[in-house]
Amino acid sequence: MSGVEIDPERVLKPLQNTSREYYILLGLFTLALLLFLEAWVHQITYGVGAVTGIGDWGISGGVPWGLYIGGFVWWIGVAHGGIAISAAVRVINLDKYRPIARIAEVLTVLALAMAALNIVLSMGRPDRIFNTIVQWPFTVHHSPLAWDIAVISLYLVLTLTYMTLSLRSEISAVRHRLPKWLAPLYALITLGYNPDEDEKIDQILWWLAVAILALVPLLSGGVVPWLFSLIAAQPGWYGAAAGAAMLTESITSALALVLIMTVVFRQAYGWQDMIEDDILRDLTIVLAFLALGTIWFTMHDVLTGYYIAPVNIGALTAGMLELNFFWIAIGGLVLSVVLLFGMIGWPKWFFNTPLLVGVSALLAITILNKKVMFVVEGLMYPTQPPLTNLYPTGVYSPTLVEWILFLGTIMLAGFGFLVITKVIPMIELEKEERELLKPTAETDGTEGE
Amino acid sequence: MADLPPKKGDPEWEEWAEDILDSTEFDTELGKQISKDALRIAEGELSKAEFHERYGDEVKAEFGVDERPTKPDPEPDNTMPRVPGDRNQTRRNVLKAMGGAAAAVGLAGCVSASADDGSESDGNPDSDTQIGMAIDTERCIACLQCSEACKEENNTDIGVHWPYVFRYEDEHAGDTREDFLTRHCQHCSEPSCTYVCPTQARYRRTEDGIVLTDYDTCVGCKYCQVACPYGVNYLGKDEPNEVVGSEFEGDRVGRDGRTVGGNPPKGVMGKCTYCVHRQDSDDPELQGTTACEQACPVDVIHFGDMNDRDSDPREHLREKEGSNQYRLLDEVGNEPNIVYIGKRPSKDAEPVQGPVSYEELNMRDGNYDYVGAQDEAPADGEEGDAA
Repeated sequence: MSGVEIDPERVLKPLQNTSREYYILLGLFTLALLLFLEAWVHQITYGVGAVTGIGDWGISGGVPWGLYIGGFVWWIGVAHGGIAISAAVRVINLDKYRPIARIAEVLTVLALAMAALNIVLSMGRPDRIFNTIVQWPFTVHHSPLAWDIAVISLYLVLTLTYMTLSLRSEISAVRHRLPKWLAPLYALITLGYNPDEDEKIDQILWWLAVAILALVPLLSGGVVPWLFSLIAAQPGWYGAAAGAAMLTESITSALALVLIMTVVFRQAYGWQDMIEDDILRDLTIVLAFLALGTIWFTMHDVLTGYYIAPVNIGALTAGMLELNFFWIAIGGLVLSVVLLFGMIGWPKWFFNTPLLVGVSALLAITILNKKVMFVVEGLMYPTQPPLTNLYPTGVYSPTLVEWILFLGTIMLAGFGFLVITKVIPMIELEKEERELLKPTAETDGTEGE
Repeated sequence: MADLPPKKGDPEWEEWAEDILDSTEFDTELGKQISKDALRIAEGELSKAEFHERYGDEVKAEFGVDERPTKPDPEPDNTMPRVPGDRNQTRRNVLKAMGGAAAAVGLAGCVSASADDGSESDGNPDSDTQIGMAIDTERCIACLQCSEACKEENNTDIGVHWPYVFRYEDEHAGDTREDFLTRHCQHCSEPSCTYVCPTQARYRRTEDGIVLTDYDTCVGCKYCQVACPYGVNYLGKDEPNEVVGSEFEGDRVGRDGRTVGGNPPKGVMGKCTYCVHRQDSDDPELQGTTACEQACPVDVIHFGDMNDRDSDPREHLREKEGSNQYRLLDEVGNEPNIVYIGKRPSKDAEPVQGPVSYEELNMRDGNYDYVGAQDEAPADGEEGDAA
């Protein structure tokens, strides 16, 4: 309960002062976004089929889904893991980790938006998404994509509610210290706020967190893998452990990204004393075991697919083992696990933040690689004999446009962080801390930006 | 529930069956009447038309479905033009293909006589029209006329072959020999592509069982492509074939008012439509025909209502009762409506190039040159660098 020394003044500082580095970073991200927009306009103008490596299944020897759908699965996983981390902090009262809870929440909101964006990218024309919404009531009971939309919307509503509610008393307490030009937004968040509601809100938040924690295994470990297994035409998209494996991978990549963002905030705003090394070290242990779990599930896949699987699954696994992608993924996992356990066992020699960020990035990219492989690999191999051998094995390699658009979603999420950090405090402030910010005679709004 | 049902035919059986009917929300008497008359249809004492006349309204009121055929059965057996087209180039190819086929013919004699299910048994009260095909691979010479004619008719994109002719070698089939498999969209009765569609753009038209894509509402999500085990879906790339193609001349709007005919627009999913613009046209000459069927010089493709005993495909299936008849990937459960006549390729079948290639007809062949990864073939290391 105790132990966290949060200095509210320093938490609010980024909202009031902006460094030169911030502007430089903002400029870089803006440039990346312009490139993203250019690529998107290009794709819309010439068509998905013309500018991506995506091709027709069957005689064209292509695969219908590629980096975008792989990226979608990755982002969804990140979102689920992010909210799980934040909700766990609240439900189990892990006060020690409070400084990273909001970072995980913001990551979740951004990741959900990016997951949705990846679907739109894959469809080729953004306006078409409305067709799926119009038809949603009639298709949700049988169409996996309609379900995806339902799941993303549900999560977006839950996390935004969760975040907004948790901000109400905080914002109203420190409003006089927040940027003036955002006043309408704060007015909206704190609409009808009354200090008496605090206790109720805390209870609501607790139950909301419980609901989210219950939904994560159901959705990330259930619905998404189930959606894939529904498409029985493709091998490799089902299996007894598919749900558990996907959940583990999701939380691994989410924790890796939370770690990266935590270190970034620590560094950028000099919060080393508030987000202590201790927190990073604990997260390292969790990450080590999650990565180990991912390796373990991969071994299950390979063993069952290689030795006793029916012909087409066997062929698929054999094909997978020949892919460079697969061995790059395995290499990334093994290296990460070795380094992480090194950090746990011999912190003196191994533990340092740059290395931790490096390993986290390696893990996040490895999981992305695995997700894309999971999507593409099943589609590369036509399913049933005799078509299996009459059709060619598919080929797929993402084009530059696809890379720009997918990496663009990561840039967009980074851009989102840059913006949000100027709008809300990135560490949740508790009552005692807010007291310290009470308006005094000196601070009557001369702060500005 | 407790004890076993009485034996059928026992006096108690009727009572027992009535109890069960009573426990449902539906009218017991109506159910009994319907089933009695359904039996009479099977015995030929009652015509389907009379049956629908008698029960149509009640069935609609009771179950909310209208089973009556909305239109009279189409196409009394058309006389098919069974002559190759008069284009010089194609005639040459037909001859060449026949030569190639002759070389590989050891087959004519050996007809395996496992008369799979093939045709549904007769007298089935299911009176809905279900358009389908009987494809006689025993006659096929892989001249690719069907592919070419379809391209010309529907103006499909480069590398897109709605009917695709696999020419394969199958060691498993005794002597090493070539055989052919023409693959159209199977227009399944249980099409997995329609179930996954998030906009209901892919749908099965109830009155004739043709599976179509509404080009106006398709969002290009490619789920249908992923869910189809036959690989018949092609995303519109907006590159209509410059060589063979003419502009699409049929009516794009089908009789149900949805845009379903011809080649798909860019970024929208397309596949064989069974030449829906012909089926829906006012021209009786065109109704009940497809471009591929008309183009076939050796009468491989038989197109028509699979539920009609006297249709061209059913008649042909009866004619070739002695031959092996099968549906492709029957075990998947999509209930395809194309019945093949001839040897079923085994899992050892290997694709081979024949004397007539797609390239020669100025049609690119994805099976050999990967249209999906066209243009500057990406170098192996490319993904690695970008990552």
